[in-house]
Amino acid sequence: MTATQNRGGQSDEQAGLPPSVIASVKDLRVHFKSKAGTVHAVDGVDFDIHDGETLGLVGETGCGKSVTARSFLQLVPSPPALPTQGSIIYRPRDGAPIDLTSIDRERLGEIRGNRIAMIFQDPGKALNPALSIRNQLVEVFLIHRTDEVLQRAGISLDESGAGSTMLRRAAGLRSRRIEKIALGMPGLREKRNAIIAASNELVEAALFDTQIPNPANVMDRYPHELSGGMKQRVMIAQALACNPDLLIADEPTTALDVTVQARIIELIKELQVRRKTSVLYISHDLSLVRRVCDRIAVMYAGRIAEIGPADQIFHDPQHPYTRGLLAAIPSSESKRGQLDAIEGSVPELINPAPGCRFASRCRHATDICRTQNPELHVLDGTREVACFIHHNGDAPNPPSFAEATDKRAAE
Amino acid sequence: MNQNGSTPSPSSEEPLLSVRDVKKHFPIRDGVMQRVTGQVRAVDGVSFDLMRGSTLGLVGESGCGKTTLGRLVAGLTDPTEGGVYFDGGRVDELQGDARRTYRRNCQMVFQDSFSSLNPRHLVKDLVGRPLKVYKEASGTELTERVVDLLESVGLGRQHLYRYPHQFSGGQRQRISIARALALDPAMVVLDEPTSALDVSVQAQILNLLHDLQTDRGLTFLFITHDLSVVRHMAENIVVMYLGRVAESGGAESLFQQPLHPYSHALLQASPDVVGDGAGFKGLEGTVPDPARPPSGCRFHTRCAHATPNCGWEVDDVVRQLEDVPKVFDELVGVERSSAFDAELRFDNPAAAQGLATALGGMTIPNAMSAAMEPVVVKDSSVRVRFHEVPDVELTTRGPGREVACVLENFDPEKNGNPSASSAAP
Amino acid sequence: MLELTGTVLSNPTTVVGLVIIVALVGMAIFAPLLASPNTPDASQMPRDWGAIAVPPGSPDHILGTTNTGGDVFYGVVWGSRASLRLSLLVVSITVTIGVIVGSIAGFVGGRVDEILMRLVDVFLSIPELIFALAIAAVLGPSFRNIILALAIVFWVKYARIMRGQVITVKQNDYVDAARVVGDSRFGIFRKDVLPNSITPIVVQATMDMGSIVLVGATLSFIGLAEAGLAEWGVLVAEGQAGISSGRWWASTFPGMMVFLWALGFNLVGDGLRDVIDPRTETAR
Repeated sequence: MTATQNRGGQSDEQAGLPPSVIASVKDLRVHFKSKAGTVHAVDGVDFDIHDGETLGLVGETGCGKSVTARSFLQLVPSPPALPTQGSIIYRPRDGAPIDLTSIDRERLGEIRGNRIAMIFQDPGKALNPALSIRNQLVEVFLIHRTDEVLQRAGISLDESGAGSTMLRRAAGLRSRRIEKIALGMPGLREKRNAIIAASNELVEAALFDTQIPNPANVMDRYPHELSGGMKQRVMIAQALACNPDLLIADEPTTALDVTVQARIIELIKELQVRRKTSVLYISHDLSLVRRVCDRIAVMYAGRIAEIGPADQIFHDPQHPYTRGLLAAIPSSESKRGQLDAIEGSVPELINPAPGCRFASRCRHATDICRTQNPELHVLDGTREVACFIHHNGDAPNPPSFAEATDKRAAE
Repeated sequence: MNQNGSTPSPSSEEPLLSVRDVKKHFPIRDGVMQRVTGQVRAVDGVSFDLMRGSTLGLVGESGCGKTTLGRLVAGLTDPTEGGVYFDGGRVDELQGDARRTYRRNCQMVFQDSFSSLNPRHLVKDLVGRPLKVYKEASGTELTERVVDLLESVGLGRQHLYRYPHQFSGGQRQRISIARALALDPAMVVLDEPTSALDVSVQAQILNLLHDLQTDRGLTFLFITHDLSVVRHMAENIVVMYLGRVAESGGAESLFQQPLHPYSHALLQASPDVVGDGAGFKGLEGTVPDPARPPSGCRFHTRCAHATPNCGWEVDDVVRQLEDVPKVFDELVGVERSSAFDAELRFDNPAAAQGLATALGGMTIPNAMSAAMEPVVVKDSSVRVRFHEVPDVELTTRGPGREVACVLENFDPEKNGNPSASSAAP
Repeated sequence: MLELTGTVLSNPTTVVGLVIIVALVGMAIFAPLLASPNTPDASQMPRDWGAIAVPPGSPDHILGTTNTGGDVFYGVVWGSRASLRLSLLVVSITVTIGVIVGSIAGFVGGRVDEILMRLVDVFLSIPELIFALAIAAVLGPSFRNIILALAIVFWVKYARIMRGQVITVKQNDYVDAARVVGDSRFGIFRKDVLPNSITPIVVQATMDMGSIVLVGATLSFIGLAEAGLAEWGVLVAEGQAGISSGRWWASTFPGMMVFLWALGFNLVGDGLRDVIDPRTETAR
């Protein structure tokens, strides 16, 4: 299905979105132009995010997990990216499904930060260093929740037209000198004070919600004055300010110390449960994701290798790559010098060879793996695996991993 | 590990390298005249021994001083106080041949393989450089020795004439390792060698490091924040917090039974190491400013097991109450007689009374309240005094174990992490 | 290196710049063949007192003559030689001094850095052109003194760029790695710091090859070079009087040469920067 078919309307597929699914990625392909050729960074990714669940998207450097996440909000810079193929259908809680890959800037602006919010790995870079914490957040409220601010301030909506930009700046304590004089006049002054008070209340509540102690104090600080964990909390507060349906968290704790990481994860979990936000959690760390997520999708070289409930993926992985990934983590049992490393390295994504992307590093690979691309295939009802071990053509009962390995070893 | 610098610890074997009460302070300069206004105490009195052929793991979070300590050991920076001893000599005082011997024998692998390999040098020049510097080889011999080194790290002749950017992260780290091994050193400082790598590649590098260690009898100082890696690689572990050693000992015994609340918290926070990590909510607060480290045990400000004897001081009043609205809004000045005794002056008596009330409130940990003498409010000033306690010393607890904690028997279950105990039925 | 050349050449404006430079430098090299001198001192304009203010297009003087009988074509051709000499000398002197001073300041650091940079600040606080003008005026009017004046003024820029570069490069782990390996301070500077700091200097030097001629021509235009020198600035000055009476050629042709010279080097400098500096780099 092409992007043009989707544009601006409902296709059959969108209408057919199951009610429990809030977003559905279908055959997503993001390719990049480079001197050496086309880089197939994301190459046919399918998954659904259910309403209220936390889905983990896990994989190593360059597997395409971040590109996939950024495609939700058209944040992949183009060029060098070629036009996105496939679709990301998002269904707002109240409204018709939309294809995020093809909507125009204006409609995207309504969704970005409002319905779908994103937090990044490096909060230091994502926050504007020149704005106080208050202003980082006031911005969000004034853009997406203007009505609420005005309502709280007791200002009727129809009169906000003319002086609105002025009052908006006033709410962020960023009035120009001349505006300050104008706003100092009786009548306007009251409105200004009411708006400042209302926005302060909202910001304070948002910060309080992310367990920032003494929000009133933090509000007037600048990002560089806060610790990494605190900055990440501010980012989360900013992202959740508008009660989004979907939160995309791109390695939110990778830059933090482990003891702080634990707190941030708890916070995300707690907020997710309380607000029933769906979360797409991107990370390279499988054991960490398992603590946060209901389901996990494992990505390798631009494709999904395996997707299923977190505990199953962790305790009983069915794709050789997931197995390798878990075995490579040093544990108390692993003997020194004998870690189960996945030999070799990630294959070239420039004009990749046909077949399973993992075939070159897989110890179970056979001829079919090198020539055909394994599709995701449902295994015992709850999970999907893209590996020929589990579905050899039309075999009715796919053998379990152990059986398959034994069989192959015997052959 | 010995607190007393003059007498080396009695052991069957002489250590290859000893660190004795090392301090490294970085001056904070301010103003036009660049006057020194304070000292960041990156490393503040650390001692340990590195035994030949073994691996010592140096663990801690960012800002604990582990990287500075690694640089001190590698001779990249000189200590402010104390010394690093190699082969009986103090490293920063070595001259001539002795210095060359130490240099050759102590190599380093850095975390960022992009930054640690000169982008304009070919692999042959990168790996061959130490040999050239020490005039060990030239011409074809140099090339052959570089090839040998490359082969020992899993690369080969075909990689000789390539630039670093043509390699993957794992391969670049292999090149770094080959360079570090060129002079056949006795020890290598590994500063987070796998932190920038993916787990599957990390496993390859860890296996390689282990093989090289057994083949060449290398001694490793392994610096990392990743407990699962350090447990896998090291025989002995030193846990650092804010420039000091919190706890040290054999890897297995330390992991089985951490005796310092900080080590315990670190372990709990690493899901790969202990179970699924469920129940651990992370540590409260942030790491205090290393320019003004807390008295007593440096961890007491965040410790869930703190006692009245952990070094509560005047600064803790601020640390505990700065998150409470309005308490310090009308503070005009602080007069300190010592770290444990000070008078806080406020604008008006009501504000002073406000602080006194807050000090009796819920946000103050019980241990801190117990360490505090009754607060005296006089007009608009508040006198706060704490029982003075000395710094916590490292004390021996069992074979090879040293712990800097006032608790004689730290039991994570019994003393009760508040969040953990409330979660328990 | 080959790859680099390829990337430079893939940019059409850079190619235009290169063509201009090759043409002008070729003109400087083959000056005796293009316009043979008939005076003992070839850098002096030959005077043909029989042909004063001849318009362009005449068989003996294709670009015309000035109102003192100077052949404009000769001035244009030999002026390129003067310009090449000026820019090469000034750039090589200033780059050498600047790189040395900047390297010492950045690499040694501390008090040395402090002293050297205050010196640089003093130089930078005076506008380039006025400073050069003052020096040249004090030294007396001659083309050599213009070169000297420009050299004194322009080195500070390189010192500043170099210092910044060295300080940045010095922080790379490969410098520490080289210390661990046991290389000497000078060895580290030569192998690690210098090669990785020099590219912005190369770009700046290329650009300055153009702008120095512009400044040099300005100085000679206001009479700080010997009178009668076959140099673009002097020639423009000579022809200037005639412009109001319609004799445009004596000033226009050398003026255009200055413009082309500056343009050529600027285009190439820009192209080099795009290739070398990853910050201005577009999609790769």
